[in-house]
Amino acid sequence: MDFRPSPSQQILTTTARAFLRQHCPPEMVQRLALDERGFDEPLWRRMAELGWPGLLIPSDLGGSDGSLLDVILLVEEMGRVGLPGPFVASAVVATSLVLAAGSPAQKKRLLPELAAGARIASLALVEETGSFDPEAVALECALPGRLSGRKLFVKDAHVADDLMVAVRIGGALSLLAIPADRAGITRLPLDPISGEKLFEVTFDRVELRPDDLFGAVGDGVALLTSALLAGSLARTAEMVGAAQRVLELAVEHAKTRVQGGRPIGGYQAIQHACADLVRDVDATRGLLYAAAWKAAEGRPADADAALAKAYAGEACLAVARRGHQIFGAISYCEEHPLHLLHKRIQAASVDFGDAPLHLETVARAIGLA
Amino acid sequence: MNFDFTEAEHAFAEEVRGFLRANPPESFAIDGMDAGYGSGANSRAFMKALASQGWISMCWPQAFGGREQPMFMKLVLMEELALAGAPFGPLAGVWQTADAIIEYGTERLRREILPAVARGEAAFWQGYSEPDAGSDLLALKTEARRDGDHYVIRGHKIWSSHAGIATHGLVFARTSREARRSRGFSMFVVANGTPGMDIRPIRSMTGEVYHHEVFLDEVRVPADLMLGAPGEGFQALLNGLDADRFWGRFYKSPALARVLRQLVEYANTTTVRGAPLSRDPSIRRRLAAMASEIAALRLLFYRAGCLIRDGAPLSYETAMAKVYADESGQKLARLGMDLLGVWGPLREGSRWAKLGGHISHLYQTTLGHTIAGGTAEVLRTTVAVRGLGLAAEPRAGAEAKAR
Repeated sequence: MDFRPSPSQQILTTTARAFLRQHCPPEMVQRLALDERGFDEPLWRRMAELGWPGLLIPSDLGGSDGSLLDVILLVEEMGRVGLPGPFVASAVVATSLVLAAGSPAQKKRLLPELAAGARIASLALVEETGSFDPEAVALECALPGRLSGRKLFVKDAHVADDLMVAVRIGGALSLLAIPADRAGITRLPLDPISGEKLFEVTFDRVELRPDDLFGAVGDGVALLTSALLAGSLARTAEMVGAAQRVLELAVEHAKTRVQGGRPIGGYQAIQHACADLVRDVDATRGLLYAAAWKAAEGRPADADAALAKAYAGEACLAVARRGHQIFGAISYCEEHPLHLLHKRIQAASVDFGDAPLHLETVARAIGLA
Repeated sequence: MNFDFTEAEHAFAEEVRGFLRANPPESFAIDGMDAGYGSGANSRAFMKALASQGWISMCWPQAFGGREQPMFMKLVLMEELALAGAPFGPLAGVWQTADAIIEYGTERLRREILPAVARGEAAFWQGYSEPDAGSDLLALKTEARRDGDHYVIRGHKIWSSHAGIATHGLVFARTSREARRSRGFSMFVVANGTPGMDIRPIRSMTGEVYHHEVFLDEVRVPADLMLGAPGEGFQALLNGLDADRFWGRFYKSPALARVLRQLVEYANTTTVRGAPLSRDPSIRRRLAAMASEIAALRLLFYRAGCLIRDGAPLSYETAMAKVYADESGQKLARLGMDLLGVWGPLREGSRWAKLGGHISHLYQTTLGHTIAGGTAEVLRTTVAVRGLGLAAEPRAGAEAKAR
């Protein structure tokens, strides 16, 4: 067993930490959260220059042959700063879908541009049930034909060039990739407290062409599995990164905030709260790395990822909430970084399946009938 | 990164499983109560069986009769034993004492103690706590005064686990008065039965005997049975306690995994109000969440294990893992009692006890775990001060002086 990242993974995370500290400071995160569009194109281009959107993509298609574990370590760094933007939606989830479902021609058309950050794609899965379970998809269409209906909680749909839409064709779960500017598609912003850009996407008699289909009709569940796993792990990595940052901020505050003649970190009440932050962050990170390593090795990792995600939702949210208590009144302010880290953790905890969904996967894995 | 065992580790795990199939844990005579930590009951017969496999001394240097196996083999062994519910009670403590003797013990200790350990015949009780020295260990009053080539120990120790069935005590005593509060303490390896030693059992809330108090009335100990340098015992003890937190809790997560497996089986086969217990959504979630917690706990211990293996510095890791292990154990015991409902409190041996009555036992024993070996409060402070660099709260006396 070895918990240490490889030398190349260490370079990746060190580079990412330095880059994000410089190019994604808390003031920028705050500004983009309040901004309606909330997408910083120069930052996205710089990230593309570093090759980040192509990390999962093979080198012959413009990527850099990275592993899912590499991506997870990178996303953890993004979580530390609360990086806004479509990285997880496009470079992790949609890219995983194209890799799993695309024909050679579709891959050749999409992946080089996705790798270069020149194209952004996003998955449209969830409907009015609010469920991330692929079986819950009800949106029905024919191919060729017309698509009418809606999807909810579509991330970064406003900057997406392609929407990967889960639909039913003759009742069979299938996957389509539709250009986001095709006639009849409307993107209406939802307004979450996290500042993330989420959309209701409505389809009004949108024309569907045979080559919109990804994979075969009825392959939807199988195709979505690896993308949902990647999304789930990426959101867990964001939670770990954000919780780590909360821990660091809280400890720094405990060392410098003086009350009653000494730093508040000199009181056991605060010390014990800080000790629990460490436990929650370390424990979650262990589960995350173990699950991501398994997935990257091509071993079955569904139960491990589910377990990590469910655990992270509970533990990292506890970190954020305890963080507020350690900080006291100052963290209630909009300009303080804590609340956005907190809200990102909360958002991540319900994205790609909330704790009950993942705990059900765990329940089956431990043999509950 | 790599979260799998090596081929050699897998092979050894299989060897241990084979041994346990051939020697079912329940076939060994039990000498002392299972304190719930995960290492099962105390069984001299089982320790001898482990010794006959060469497993107790497998990691020692060849000069001491060992086979110089990597330290991770001990983790593999303990995990398999705990998963099977084997009665290997004193194993971790025996390993630690032997390691200390190998590292800095006298010739006499090496000669007299190590062979007995390797044969599975030695077990040690810890003589640290005293009636007025618990978390504040340095308040202890036991003294050892030099008398020729002996020390003469006088004092009163308490909460010594299985002292009545062990072979030796590790007695921590003051040997000199020094300016620094933490100096002037030494550790002695004292054979049970030494004149002046009176070991009395304390019946615990489970109805059995686990702890003892030990009265030491002018107990004469040869000076070369001191473990470590005179007056330097406290640092050695601290290092030992740090190791204790790791070695004494490593097997908790596999042991909890075993209990969880039993609870899952119980939920699958029990009908409540006309429906299987396993279909109750809240029960499903609590059991699944517990599985996540046990998995997280296992990884915390393996991470600390990797740091120890690699000789990397440890600051807070074992203290944190110990607190988590003990609180998770309490949580699982509580969940087990909830699941069993009215059957939960029935003792082992009761006609109607479910799961062998083990859950009611675990429910009681786990209460002591967040107290023994450093309370959860002391250890959270350790995490904050040593791990995070927060300033220690001043001692009461020092604060009064500062005023």
